[in-house]
Amino acid sequence: MDYSDTADRISQKVKAKGHEADPAKIEGKLRRLVEEFGVPPAEAERTVMSEIAREFSLNGLGTAAGEEKSLNSLLPGEWATVEAKVVSLTSAPSPAIAQSGILADTTGAIRFVVWTKANAPILEDGKWYRFESAVVDEYRGSVNLKIHSGTVIREISRDTVLSPRVTPIADLVPGIGSVKAKVIQEWDVTHDRMLQSGLLADETGTMKFVIWKEEGREQLVPGKVYSLYYAVVDEYSGRYSLNLNSATVVPEEGDIPVSSGDTRFTGALVHIAPGSGLIKRCPVEGCNRVLSRQNYCPVHEIQPGFNYDLRIKGWLDDGKVTREVLIQREVTEQLTGMSIEQARELAENNPLGMDEVFLRVRDRILGRYLSCTGREIDFRMLVNSCDLLPFNAEETASLLNRAGGSS
Amino acid sequence: MAGPARGGFPRREFEREPARRVFAGELRESRIHFREGEDEKSPTYILLPTGERCNRIFLVGTLTEKKKQGEQNLFYRARVVDPTGTFFIMAGSYQPEAMQQIARIESPAFVAVVGKPNVYETPDGAVLISVRCESVTAVDKDTRDRWVLDCAKATLDRIDALGTTPDGERAVQEYKTDPALFRKMVYEALSQLSL
Repeated sequence: MDYSDTADRISQKVKAKGHEADPAKIEGKLRRLVEEFGVPPAEAERTVMSEIAREFSLNGLGTAAGEEKSLNSLLPGEWATVEAKVVSLTSAPSPAIAQSGILADTTGAIRFVVWTKANAPILEDGKWYRFESAVVDEYRGSVNLKIHSGTVIREISRDTVLSPRVTPIADLVPGIGSVKAKVIQEWDVTHDRMLQSGLLADETGTMKFVIWKEEGREQLVPGKVYSLYYAVVDEYSGRYSLNLNSATVVPEEGDIPVSSGDTRFTGALVHIAPGSGLIKRCPVEGCNRVLSRQNYCPVHEIQPGFNYDLRIKGWLDDGKVTREVLIQREVTEQLTGMSIEQARELAENNPLGMDEVFLRVRDRILGRYLSCTGREIDFRMLVNSCDLLPFNAEETASLLNRAGGSS
Repeated sequence: MAGPARGGFPRREFEREPARRVFAGELRESRIHFREGEDEKSPTYILLPTGERCNRIFLVGTLTEKKKQGEQNLFYRARVVDPTGTFFIMAGSYQPEAMQQIARIESPAFVAVVGKPNVYETPDGAVLISVRCESVTAVDKDTRDRWVLDCAKATLDRIDALGTTPDGERAVQEYKTDPALFRKMVYEALSQLSL
């Protein structure tokens, strides 16, 4: 058996407290405990740890048996003993998992999983337990507690009242988070199992939320403010969303100021993509997909009747980053000075048809400096206002100073 | 794993190369070009003397001359002038949109160009830099002036950061860049604006 990992971990912790501990010596002690005395590895680690803690009179290293850790101090790869309250139970996603949910103490909250093979007693929502020798793990970027067959679980009585700390939306990280936020948008449900999805906002930002169908889960009311305790912050390809199935939902009175979620981006329009200009959309209720040249909808096939729309898909570039922008009808009309009726007439009376609209739109705004305001959805900026950036003579003076200054 | 930029837009896994702003007077001095990665499709870059790599550039200037060349493989060459010098641009059958655009523009005209710069070495050792166009659009004087400001700012920002980034260090080493020279170039470009 290899003890060097454990030894390294212990010496790292001691080092963090400002003392030196020789990993080789620690390894020797571990080996002796395990191989000569038959102590289980987790227990051996605790023993060595507490011995060192006594030696340097350190507090907080306390992993001696019987001394538990706070949830916010858990690190992946550790064995831990914690005392925590079950604040949420979620339906287990797999038969290998008996129970899953969220544990909390006064310092924080963590997701937990009880393996079916652990044969553990059924945990009850709202009760406090002591978990000895559970494993701290990492799952989808956040810390997670695994309860296995070696974990000793005991119900304990505590009357500590937990008040989860509310985090500003802009500061949420994957894991468990509590927010006070307003439902500012409700989106179409895209999945049979989904109960509701939309956008939450507080003063610092916005975040997508999702609630899956489950007994006892109710939809949030758009425009209302809620305190949402112990929600799960998920990360998917760089974007965060809040899963509210685990959350305790408390409706709040009154209103809160919210960020519109809008950002401004200024740059040159360096590319206009195909699919810009005049387009045809599928007329089937709720579809609205873009039709191909043959009036073909990928879902509803040939559609002889269709709705026209006008838009610009392109890339706005400030020389450092480039962002995809989607400019919708009203803004496109205002930018190009061409109304959708004019565009339709042009397309119907011109040999090039809709291509003629594309070319005119391109000639009017490609290569121009634009200042766009909008919201980011799926990596695209959905532009709700946009202006041509004029030449600013004052900037010339300040740049001249910069160039002529310290040469 | 790369998390989202806090408070900003999350980033895609594969990002489109931004179009750098560079004056003709600086692009002309570039020599170093390289490919990032082993793959045939990996992007190629030119290292600018002020210390930034560019795969794509955006420029606005005056199209002064255009020439149709080739028979089976028709292509256009054109000269675009900015306050510091001349860009040589071209568009061939692999850039049909840009080629049609150039064909329709009568010189002289202000044009906005998006394209990829390439370094060519002639047999006698001279170096030519030409920009293969993605688009060439006729624009007004306001857009040209706006670009001069934008490009001046970008160039000054690069000069300020020269030697502090890996590309900046490399530029100092390879080009022995004299910041004063490029400051002067920027100053003169801006001076022409205020006239």
